Amino acid sequence: MPRPGFVLDVDRSTPPILFHHGESLRLERLPAGRSRVLYPGEPLEALDDPEGAIREALDNPLGDSPPLRALLRPGMKLTICFDDISLPLPPMRRPDIRQRVIEAVLDLAAEAGVDDVHLIAALALHRRMTEAELRHAVGDRVYDAFAPRGLLYNHDAEDPDQLAFLGTTPQGEEVEISKRAAESDLVVYVNINLVPMDGGHKSTATGLASYRSLRHHHNVATMQRSRSFMDRHRSELHSSNWRMGKVLRDAGVKIFQIETTLNNDTFGTSGPMAVLQKREWEWTARDRASFLAMRAGLDRLPLKARRRIFQAWQAPYGVTSVQAGEVEAVHEATTASVFRQQLVTVEGQTDILTMGLPYICPYNVNSVMNPILVMCLGLGYFFNMYRGQPLVREGGVVIMSHPTTWEFHPVHHPSYIDFFEQVLADTTDPVEIEARYEKQYAEDEWYRHLYRTSYAYHGVHPFYMWYWGCHGLAHAGKVIVVGGETRTVRRLGFTPASTLADALEMAEDVVGRQATITHLHNPPLVMAEVK
Amino acid sequence: MKALVFSRQPARYAAAMVAGSLRPGRGARYGPLSLRDVDPPDMPGPGWLQLRPRLSGICGSDLATIDGRSSRYFEPIVSFPFTPGHEIVGDLEDGRRVVVVPVLTCATRGVNPPCPQCAAGHINLCERVAFGHLEPGLQCGFCESTGGGWSQDMVVHESQVIAVPNGLTDEAAVMIEPTACAVHAARQVTAGRVAVIGSGTLGLLTIAALRRLSPATEIVAAAKHPEQRRWAKELGADVLCEPDELARAVRATTGSMVIGDQLTGGVAAVVDCVGSEATLAQALGVVAPGGTVLAVGMPARTTLDLTGLWHRETSLRGCYAYEPADFATAVELVAELDLGRLVSATYPLARYEDAIDHAANAGRRGAVKIAFDLRGKPPLLPALTRTMRGQRGQNDEDPPRGVR
Amino acid sequence: MKLPRVPFPYAAPTVPDGVEVPAPPPRWGPDYDTRWARRYPARLARAALVETVGRGLVEALARPRVAGLDRLDVLERAGGPVIFAANHHSHVDTPVLLTAIPDTWRHRLFVGGAADYFFRTRVTSALSALVIGAIPIERTRVSRRSADRSAELIDAGWSMLIFPEGGRSPDGWGQPFHGGAAYLALRCGVPVVPIHLHGTGRILRKGARLPRPATATVTFGAPLVPQPGDNARRLSATIERAVEALADEATTDWWSARRRAHAGASPALTGPSAPAWRRAWALGDRDSRRRRQRRRWP
Repeated sequence: MPRPGFVLDVDRSTPPILFHHGESLRLERLPAGRSRVLYPGEPLEALDDPEGAIREALDNPLGDSPPLRALLRPGMKLTICFDDISLPLPPMRRPDIRQRVIEAVLDLAAEAGVDDVHLIAALALHRRMTEAELRHAVGDRVYDAFAPRGLLYNHDAEDPDQLAFLGTTPQGEEVEISKRAAESDLVVYVNINLVPMDGGHKSTATGLASYRSLRHHHNVATMQRSRSFMDRHRSELHSSNWRMGKVLRDAGVKIFQIETTLNNDTFGTSGPMAVLQKREWEWTARDRASFLAMRAGLDRLPLKARRRIFQAWQAPYGVTSVQAGEVEAVHEATTASVFRQQLVTVEGQTDILTMGLPYICPYNVNSVMNPILVMCLGLGYFFNMYRGQPLVREGGVVIMSHPTTWEFHPVHHPSYIDFFEQVLADTTDPVEIEARYEKQYAEDEWYRHLYRTSYAYHGVHPFYMWYWGCHGLAHAGKVIVVGGETRTVRRLGFTPASTLADALEMAEDVVGRQATITHLHNPPLVMAEVK
Repeated sequence: MKALVFSRQPARYAAAMVAGSLRPGRGARYGPLSLRDVDPPDMPGPGWLQLRPRLSGICGSDLATIDGRSSRYFEPIVSFPFTPGHEIVGDLEDGRRVVVVPVLTCATRGVNPPCPQCAAGHINLCERVAFGHLEPGLQCGFCESTGGGWSQDMVVHESQVIAVPNGLTDEAAVMIEPTACAVHAARQVTAGRVAVIGSGTLGLLTIAALRRLSPATEIVAAAKHPEQRRWAKELGADVLCEPDELARAVRATTGSMVIGDQLTGGVAAVVDCVGSEATLAQALGVVAPGGTVLAVGMPARTTLDLTGLWHRETSLRGCYAYEPADFATAVELVAELDLGRLVSATYPLARYEDAIDHAANAGRRGAVKIAFDLRGKPPLLPALTRTMRGQRGQNDEDPPRGVR
Repeated sequence: MKLPRVPFPYAAPTVPDGVEVPAPPPRWGPDYDTRWARRYPARLARAALVETVGRGLVEALARPRVAGLDRLDVLERAGGPVIFAANHHSHVDTPVLLTAIPDTWRHRLFVGGAADYFFRTRVTSALSALVIGAIPIERTRVSRRSADRSAELIDAGWSMLIFPEGGRSPDGWGQPFHGGAAYLALRCGVPVVPIHLHGTGRILRKGARLPRPATATVTFGAPLVPQPGDNARRLSATIERAVEALADEATTDWWSARRRAHAGASPALTGPSAPAWRRAWALGDRDSRRRRQRRRWP
């Protein structure tokens, strides 16, 4: 029976706490008496027979949806869309759950004699997936069967001929998605719900949409009103997507949603990384030895080699649930399952929130974690891992630990470089950035070209990263980056500190002495239910 | 009288080349430049006047000469030993305070009739720079006969002097000559977006001149040091970037595509105020087809791939000095923008090694223009306040918020 | 000179007339006792042989492309014995499979070998038992003894590799499956993993003397778990269908293969019933997946 997550009050006998620090690891001692650590629960039991569970879910859908079998008929147009490389994190060991679900769906389609099938990676404005990444996600069998005929491809949000405008919501939000999906008799969406933000109507309304449609919810105003975007019922981001979902439904787009959840077995229960998801006081001699060896090795290796090692890690996730059917009913069950794994109840807010940022975020798989992504991971994702109210009080201090080097992946993040050099050199205010620069970047011909033909994130994507963190930016009184490169951290508008002790000292200026500290022990992912 | 003299000493010149390559400005210590007691230059002829310099600036071309980076091209058009210094404000015998137009034209050389260029007013293009009754020399400061600004006494031709308006300080007046250069460069740029490479004195002044002469132009400026960025912003640059970010900044500003290292579009004109091989190559990479690269900074022997120049019909043209009209505009500009602020520090002649070191490392030390102060009682220390500000700027890793 | 005769009991007895002495039971052939080959020394030797010589040989000759291992994922986590049933082209099949089958089963695996071929003499018997871990199976008739022996081993946790066709293909096409694999699966209640081998016939077809390097493809299929109510005949047919579908998958693609499989239209392993030359002709069509040559620049 896996133990649930809990909140540890730090006292004098508490060992140093593990902080992820990009491609390296740190042990930090938190002040006794006023600190607490939020520990994730242990990985939930995985399903013994995921394939059986998938078949079961397809045959017994949730909500008012007939079984998938009944929706398939010869001569129909079937489109299977699936989540892209940004999920799960780190990538899952083969076979990926998407492959299993897609094969099950296709097997039913083959049985029903469906001929016209397309598979689309629903990546919105993310970079296109490479062949190897697609093979990893859907498996070699599906790839070899569909890709050579051009039936398995990446969604292209900038192809005017392949987009269909379906109408506007009562709030005037335009809905424009992939034409193939819009014109299909059935869209099957295969999702991985790693965090509660994923899934639901966001899968289709965002994953298959164009910039014209996305800008209605990927903006500062929406993100400011999403408290947090991990909590669907208090997230304007999701409300907008749900409204768009209704437009899709009214336009006759039939969606059969299949959502899956994984446990948080990120580093395995055995193997070299296992120590990273153990609680520090339970480290055995062997764990300590492997940690010391790992840290010593990492300290000596050049950054590129460390990055290669970490990026090659594939997590042995177990599948905890599969549900299929009507979007909203499915998503309710899915989020419940995610919360079961990730939610930990916390009493009250804190003055200082600390977090160790790992080497990966949704946008740098097989890539480089650039400074903008550091901001997005810290103030966007981790800060928003709350339900109720933020872990840190308004005007409190957020301390993130990450090397934050001035480094960008030239192929994946071209517009990030310009954003960092041009936009952030000018201002870090999300509202001003949105007003002054977004249009120029979104419509830049070169970024568009790279997005469509190379493996680049869309020109506007760095803006979304900045918007993702805007709630955190406005909420926190000060943001300190421990161990970050000075000029890079300054460019982000944050304060650099060389050690955690220094950072806590600096935080005193804002929150006073004897401020309370909460550490988000993350990854594996944990979400706070703040009372 | 005291004067800094640059004489023909091949061995010392070689030493200057080595020292200068190790640390900019170090050529002053080991090279052929020395502070000496010399006789004031003789009057070359009628129309010549005695001038006592008050302030005399240190220019990039002076530094190149001192560090042994100048091209052999200059050999026949300078005459040794000469006293450098051509950014001069000084007093005439009759008490007038004037700035000097240092270009030595046909009129100053007693060449009559003047060459076609001088006749047409293009004094910078004079065809007689090594002829007439003066020793060879393209400007005073490179000519044995006239002396130069880095001394207590020199001679100037009456056609070379322009009276300084009363309201202008000496610091402002000494900026008039470089500003005229910048105005001249800015006049060559007709339309469209402009990129300015280099944010030393000339670069900053070019930005100011461009802003004034064509207010609608969008200016992309490459500046290395925080203080330079601050100035570039203040003087009118729209987009600021680090020198190695220029290609990306131009691409993002113009929304152009990229093929290899070459932008498919780019800016209509690039003003290269550095003139090194790297900056010229960079300039050719970011200029639009049919556009112009203006070499304002002095280049030397350079290897460039000009295939793109051929294919894209790019013009690469030089831009030297000024015409009389440029001076008039320069005076206005200096007065309007109070460009005397750009003089970061002044030194007495005796501290010439420090002065040249400061000038050669001006960007890094947060300074812009360094000048020699020749006004009688020299101050004990260089103008303290300016230096202090420079020092502070040096420690700033990033420009202040909101400054681009 | 006449040698003295050694008397009985110092010499063998003479046989009285009219009495028939039964022949001693043969110690090889179907009754060869292979137990020794599953003790630790032999297993160790076998593992060493397979991982060094075997793998080297297989890499040199066949360079097999292994597909479908992910289908065994759940089974692998559960552990337990499995029956691997593959089609059979060549002597290379066994070494290829011995190196391709996942670790979980590879080192506790025995192979059903034809008693009349592998266990003909004492030497071949010993070699077969040691090198590939074979046990003798009689293919000419249903033998109680070989079935019992296999079942015993499976019950003891050993996995079995069997070629249900009963022998190598004479002409490149398959032969109808025998019921042994299905019978054992039902009897022991273990899953059957269908395997399709493609291309090994080109390396060393039946009757060839020298192997020729070529590329082989091994495709593992989804495990077939015997359902209550199955009988051996039906399960055997299911296994054959599964291998057929895998053959289809290996030569075309998964999606087309699945559609044909559901429509009951997978091409039969046994090929067209037609004269020999047309069967040989039709073989050529099965290698449709030719890699496009990459154009190199310059």
